[in-house]
Amino acid sequence: MKVNCEKLCPDWPCEQPDEFKDIWVVMETDEHGISEASLQMLTPAKKIQSKKPEEKIVAVLIGYNIKQYAEIPIKHGADKVIVVDDERLKTYYPRVYGQVIVDLAKKYKPAVILVSATMKGREMGPYIANTLRTGITADCTDFDVDEKTGDVLMIRPPFAAIMLAYIKTPFRRPQMGTARPNVFPVPPYDESRTGEIIEEKLETIMDPGMQLVNYVPVKKEEVLIEKAEIIVSVGKGIGSMDGVKLAEKLASLLGGVVAGSRKAVDAGFVDPERQVGQTGKSVKPVLYFAIGISGAAQHMLGVREAGRIVAINIDPEAPIFKQSDYGVVGDYRPILEALIEELQQLKEKGPEAIEELLKE
Amino acid sequence: MRIVVGIKWVPNTQAVRFDPKTGTLIRAGVPSIVNPHDFPAIELALRLKDMYGGEVIAVTMAPPSATQGLEHVLGMGVDKGILLTDRKFAGADTLATSYVIAKGIEKISKEIGPVDVAIFGHETIDSSTAHIGAQVASWLGWPYVYYARDAKLVEDGKLRVTRQTEKAVEEYEVNLPAVVATAIKALKPRPVRLSYKLRAKIEKPIIAWNIEDLGLDPRCTGLKGSPTVVANITWMPEVPRKKIVYTPKDPRDAARWILKQLFSDESVAGFLKKALWGEE
Ligand SMILES: Cc1cc2nc3c(=O)[nH]c(=O)nc-3n(C[C@H](O)[C@H](O)[C@H](O)COP(=O)(O)OP(=O)(O)OC[C@H]3O[C@@H](n4cnc5c(N)ncnc54)[C@H](O)[C@@H]3O)c2cc1C
Ligand SMILES: Nc1ncnc2c1ncn2[C@@H]1O[C@H](COP(=O)(O)O)[C@@H](O)[C@H]1O
Repeated sequence: MKVNCEKLCPDWPCEQPDEFKDIWVVMETDEHGISEASLQMLTPAKKIQSKKPEEKIVAVLIGYNIKQYAEIPIKHGADKVIVVDDERLKTYYPRVYGQVIVDLAKKYKPAVILVSATMKGREMGPYIANTLRTGITADCTDFDVDEKTGDVLMIRPPFAAIMLAYIKTPFRRPQMGTARPNVFPVPPYDESRTGEIIEEKLETIMDPGMQLVNYVPVKKEEVLIEKAEIIVSVGKGIGSMDGVKLAEKLASLLGGVVAGSRKAVDAGFVDPERQVGQTGKSVKPVLYFAIGISGAAQHMLGVREAGRIVAINIDPEAPIFKQSDYGVVGDYRPILEALIEELQQLKEKGPEAIEELLKE
Repeated sequence: MRIVVGIKWVPNTQAVRFDPKTGTLIRAGVPSIVNPHDFPAIELALRLKDMYGGEVIAVTMAPPSATQGLEHVLGMGVDKGILLTDRKFAGADTLATSYVIAKGIEKISKEIGPVDVAIFGHETIDSSTAHIGAQVASWLGWPYVYYARDAKLVEDGKLRVTRQTEKAVEEYEVNLPAVVATAIKALKPRPVRLSYKLRAKIEKPIIAWNIEDLGLDPRCTGLKGSPTVVANITWMPEVPRKKIVYTPKDPRDAARWILKQLFSDESVAGFLKKALWGEE
């Protein structure tokens, strides 16, 4: 497609989409290395690449003392890595990190930039897009390619989680999108993969305009819900903190954690950071218990990646039953009590007791 | 201090119903509200004014009906409202929206007095992109801090902003002017007061600016100034699930039924065994 620059906002640089190539994925690092959330973004990058094989996947790794991690994105599917390792990048500031990526993008002209919607990504992503005078689509749940035009389709639920909007950026590049952590898996590690590592040097650096003056790590004893393999999630139907205690008991028996719906958060039953759904978190446990949760679309959006869903709800008409694997109709309280008791007994008897149970 | 706060008048999404036949959202008759996530931003702006004096100006880019939203926040103690409104602003994505807001802030600085801080909410409930704050910062060339929970002035005229990330409580000293966006439920908003409402009724401190007032090129606003376009809308694909529903005789029956399903389901059985008895 040939863009007529006369028609565009004169504040934007005049560029043609076909001057741009490759799919960039911004890598976020912390003291443990590259974040899992940013490696997850290699999955949609690979999906786009599968429809546009001429494009390379390029991981962009910036920070201080991070060169050591450069091979990791390659083993997970990147073809190339651009590294900027500079002491002046020791502290993250959105404007400084953002500007480094903007300058790299101006030099290399990527067709696509994917950013994980972590807190940093949500802060920095729109800053990068705007400074490049291009569009960005937040919280995509999938990506695809328009077969006619070759534009990337950024797919996200607008407004309510019932519909999906396909958004494209037809006359600007790069095409930018973010996705929440855990919407995609990390592509498998492949030791045999090799790729080019390009080191870039910084000449000047943007003034952050701000200084980090205090940093107090918050200790989190509990497992984060995004990492939990078993989740017992409670809804408004849990009714009281006593109900939450039952859920906690079940969770701890199974080595899992408690999460909740937005109404459960609003009622004060669970912490806001344990909210599952469109405006909470996406989770991918092996097993998800939905206790007293009606199954609203905005909630269910957060459990699309869950392995199995067990629902307990008193209302046989509750929409959750059409969206779960095993549903039980009834008051959750005596059912959870019995379930906890049965599990405790099983635990004592040992694995042999399962055969008996299944024979019944 | 002169503080601008960005607000949006949004349909109350909790009340929006869905027409499964036509596949459209039924917005008719749905009441609009001030975006709930903007209240912590308004509260932060008002607290800064309480501490250091000055004025708080609420800004919104919207059709004229959003005047009601501005009136609501005037009732909380906001001093002025500015409605950025023009047919040529319609259909804007976040880049084109933030452009108009940034130009509005520049005009405030020139004509009303220099703006020290622009505060935005966590996100909107109708589009929930959380883009506007960062994008306004990009247009204005100001530093940006998101997820703010509190802010106060410190000695050398900087704004000390506290926020909490996934890992830490952080404090920044930020040069002014700056853009700040608040975290969800960061501050409890004050109620609307009748005296403020009456004052607003008499003084009518709401100004409307259109594209000419802002001196903007129509190629930079609304649909034309938006790099993103919606190509298509479809139903969300369903996740395949077993959908087995059981009405038990009694709680014990329910519990045993659940366990039977799970232990005969290969995808979870091994996992449960590990959870109960350690390695299989
Ligand atoms: C833009 C937007 C974003 C949203 N984001 C989210 C989000 O991120 N996460 C989220 O969860 N929601 C979100 N919501 C809200 C969502 O629409 C629902 O309102 C919410 O998920 C409902 O929570 P619930 O299922 O706990 O409560 P309810 O819908 O009130 O359901 C309670 C259920 O408990 C059952 N129940 C009652 N008593 C018992 C009992 N004794 N035993 C068993 N069952 C019982 C009832 O039958 C009922 O089905 C969002 C909404 C909007 C508009
Ligand atoms: N049209 C608008 N006019 C003024 N401020 C807005 C507008 N849209 C969004 N905002 C502000 O930007 C924040 C983030 O919005 P969003 O990027 O739409 O999620 C909101 O909480 C508001 O403070």
